[in-house]
Amino acid sequence: MRKYDLITPEGTRDLLFDESVARRAAEDKLRRLFENYGYSEVITPGIEFYDVFMLKSRYFAQETMYKLSDGKGRLMVIRPDSTMPIARLAATRLKDEARPLKLFYSQNIFRINPKNSGRDDEITQSGIEIIGGSVKKADMEVLNLAAEAIKTFETEDFRIEIGDGAFFKILISGLTDDEEEKEQIREYVENKNMPELKNALEKYRPSERADILYELPKLFGGAEVFEKAENIFKDEKLISALEDIKEAYEYLCALGLKDKVTMDFSLVNKANYYTGLLFRGYIMGYGMPVLSGGRYDALAGDFGFPCPATGFAVNINAVAKALLKNNRAELTTPPDILVYAESDALQKGFLHCRSLAAADGVRAENSLNETLEETKEFARKKGIKFIDCVDKNGNVTKIQV
Amino acid sequence: MNDVIRIALTKGRLEKDTVNLFESMGFDVSAVRDKGRRLILPINGRGIEVVLAKAADVITYVEHGVCDLGVVGKDTIMEHGGKYFELVDLGFGKCRFALAGKKGTDFYKGYGVKTVASKYTNVTRAFFESKGMDVDIVKIEGSVELAPLLGLADGIVDIVETGTTLKENGLEVYENVAPVSARLIVNTVSMKLKKECIDRLVEMIEKELRNK
Repeated sequence: MRKYDLITPEGTRDLLFDESVARRAAEDKLRRLFENYGYSEVITPGIEFYDVFMLKSRYFAQETMYKLSDGKGRLMVIRPDSTMPIARLAATRLKDEARPLKLFYSQNIFRINPKNSGRDDEITQSGIEIIGGSVKKADMEVLNLAAEAIKTFETEDFRIEIGDGAFFKILISGLTDDEEEKEQIREYVENKNMPELKNALEKYRPSERADILYELPKLFGGAEVFEKAENIFKDEKLISALEDIKEAYEYLCALGLKDKVTMDFSLVNKANYYTGLLFRGYIMGYGMPVLSGGRYDALAGDFGFPCPATGFAVNINAVAKALLKNNRAELTTPPDILVYAESDALQKGFLHCRSLAAADGVRAENSLNETLEETKEFARKKGIKFIDCVDKNGNVTKIQV
Repeated sequence: MNDVIRIALTKGRLEKDTVNLFESMGFDVSAVRDKGRRLILPINGRGIEVVLAKAADVITYVEHGVCDLGVVGKDTIMEHGGKYFELVDLGFGKCRFALAGKKGTDFYKGYGVKTVASKYTNVTRAFFESKGMDVDIVKIEGSVELAPLLGLADGIVDIVETGTTLKENGLEVYENVAPVSARLIVNTVSMKLKKECIDRLVEMIEKELRNK
């Protein structure tokens, strides 16, 4: 029988030393940022009932979730997302809390990726959720924080992209009522699948809505897309959504991000999860968005307590990778001093260690090797520069390795 | 680095068709034509690098963003799935997916669950799922035509170009599944971060395709 006791499951990994340091550094940076802006941390369970992730307004494809069953045979999943548990929290235990709620989290999510795809099944995400408050103000605040959060990547090569699910929704609503067809067209728009989109819209053209829908995936880029959009948008609702995006754009420009902000009018997410402004962050050299978020007003309602909400999540695995790649993380270094005690001076040795540790900035490791020779060998291998030898009277002799 | 875009081509016929297309657009494709055993080749003066790969790998490289663009058949896209923009139908590499089997038999007759052999198991599954029909799917790597002849399967789902192979083996097409042609796919992040370069290239390609 083959035993799988020597490897980790596909899509997971052990993080050693520098990788762990980078991961924690990335988390710490975001934690500090969120705390500074008055957000409070929540930690949700690692396993939840399957039902939490199968809502009307949002659901996860069941084949992407790790599932198990509890003692009563009920279906559970290992947390595939943090937003939905937090919406659950907001609608239950935090129902009577003063609004807006400003929450942040930093925890792992688990999703099943296709076999051999080289994707992480376990991802650490740090993010915020704003529940309640003025829609406009909350939208600007999440953008603000998203712009701050993407700075943790410590690269200038980033973009924040803003869009609004409303465009697609307005255009498709007048076109067809067939849900399956809607979903098919949505997929084509999302994937900028121009050949298939053309075929799918063929029977509705020429008509104002279908013609604009066909142009939608091409409406992305810098400020020039506003003009393009203005030229083809006639519908009042479209124009009002356009004004909203423009406002968000100008807001980000005022933050000094003019070169970093782009628009994509065809950002559309599955079902109704995102209901208004949505955005993504990209960095050069990472083939997927590293930050994503937006407004999800319908979600809390699925838990019986409707309330507007918005938020975003940052992929910490990606941040850690970027920090390591650019040598921006403070990596692991060996301790400054190795303390070796004679076998009759163990207590004295440990006390010496403690006094060194108490002195700020000195890291002392207590040697667990039998002899001084072994201790020296160990120090050489680990790159520790000094050994403090402690005898039974507490006298310390310093040796340079 | 920002200005170089990397395009992965499916080795073989699609590679040749794409190189011809590039040449008609006025690109210097001499390095790609004269490739020897190299797998990464420059198109001089255009800031483009060509990568040669197997069809499914083209998708993998584009999905992971190590190649910005790719040329791959719709057949591979349908079988492999994935997340990328499928921007242009290049028009060449045309063929179709079809359900075929022994000549003169009615595939849908009877109540028994049918067995279908295919190299493209996902395409096959999706096709019969859309019909709400349960079938047993057997994966075959080589000549799928053998499966019904040897009695392993009631039918096959495979790529059909001219239908000659089918005919010579006493098989016929029962039903078309989907048309296939070469597509230009783009990594979702590259599309945004290298918009200008990619837009320019796509515009040139579309113009050339219109003129054909």
